[in-house]
Amino acid sequence: MPAGGSGGSSPRASGCGAPAGGIKITDGIGTQAIVQGHVTSAGTPVPSGYARLLNTDGEFVAEVPLGDDGGFIFYAAPGDWTLRVLAPGGIRSECVVSAQKGKITQLELTV
Amino acid sequence: MTRSDVLVDADWVQSHLGDPGIVLVEVDEDTSAYDKGHIKGAVKLDWKKDLQDPVRRDFVDRAGFEALLSARGISNDDTVILYGGNNNWFAAYAYWYFKLYGHHNVKLLDGGRKKWELDSREMVTEAPSRSATSYHAKEQDKSIRAFRDDVVAAIGTLNLVDVRSPDEFAGRLLAPAHLPQEQAQRGGHVPTAKNVPWSKAAQEDGTFKSDDDLRALYGDEAGLDFGRDTIAYCRIGERSAHTWFVLHELLGQPNVKNYDGSWTEYGSLVGVPIELGDGK
Repeated sequence: MPAGGSGGSSPRASGCGAPAGGIKITDGIGTQAIVQGHVTSAGTPVPSGYARLLNTDGEFVAEVPLGDDGGFIFYAAPGDWTLRVLAPGGIRSECVVSAQKGKITQLELTV
Repeated sequence: MTRSDVLVDADWVQSHLGDPGIVLVEVDEDTSAYDKGHIKGAVKLDWKKDLQDPVRRDFVDRAGFEALLSARGISNDDTVILYGGNNNWFAAYAYWYFKLYGHHNVKLLDGGRKKWELDSREMVTEAPSRSATSYHAKEQDKSIRAFRDDVVAAIGTLNLVDVRSPDEFAGRLLAPAHLPQEQAQRGGHVPTAKNVPWSKAAQEDGTFKSDDDLRALYGDEAGLDFGRDTIAYCRIGERSAHTWFVLHELLGQPNVKNYDGSWTEYGSLVGVPIELGDGK
């Protein structure tokens, strides 16, 4: 998986505005601890929904709308996180991930 | 002030779509979200292109705000209903911004775009056509806006609420976890600030928690003294506008300011005190 991988389609941005799916970085992951992936349903991307990152206390930390490809990306601190997906129709799914500095943790969620 | 003065729910919006005198305005973190689909009749405001000065770090000035709202077909008498993604993060910022320039008849759609989407309510792609108006803004209401010197003077004196995530507060991250960690300024927080992440005020569907829960969150749990004035800050002043909305508009705290310079300014100032570590 190349740096940044999939999950976003916009260039790196300096502001606080994140496009759906999150912001893809283009010049290497460096010290970032990236958690990214896709959400699919019956083999088809889920483009309408939200990915939420929760800390080990279950507290919300960040959220992105899913991209057109069902993708999402987070730049977390190293450690354990819960990734939760919400989508129309009462869809709710989650998994626990471990983020590491300088690495991409790739997730493929099926709902 | 009651909740109905500042909030409307999705059913209310649904039943007032197209009503004259009511203007839906979408303001999103993801500025392309509107183009993919929005509530019928809603106009778009881009938090960066429309609301920020393109050269210096500040808001558009009064004349600029007047020109913006006139071009969008919003008049002084309109009731503006703001909504957006990510728990109304940027919509709350726009709400504060409208108040700053004296537009009092403004409300948030509780739950924002997310609630609307998760309810599977109708979204459209066509933008509405509205006739231009002659909008008149007031001078900025500085009673709701804090500047850096206000924050330094507030250390140990006023309530300072740092509404960023615990990792940003502690200095382990310099930006929210859905953004690249690319800021060059120092990490940490303003000494004596309490850390109450903005998102704690919202439920999972983006709607606000009850007044009792909110009062317990900021008072009993965080230790804010409701008898003191308060300054809220985050990284660039948008998440803290959400907390300003909670404290000032929902809980009715009289003197609450949003420090829009926030950590990107404070964390780059020479000589100001910074504290590291988790909240106490």
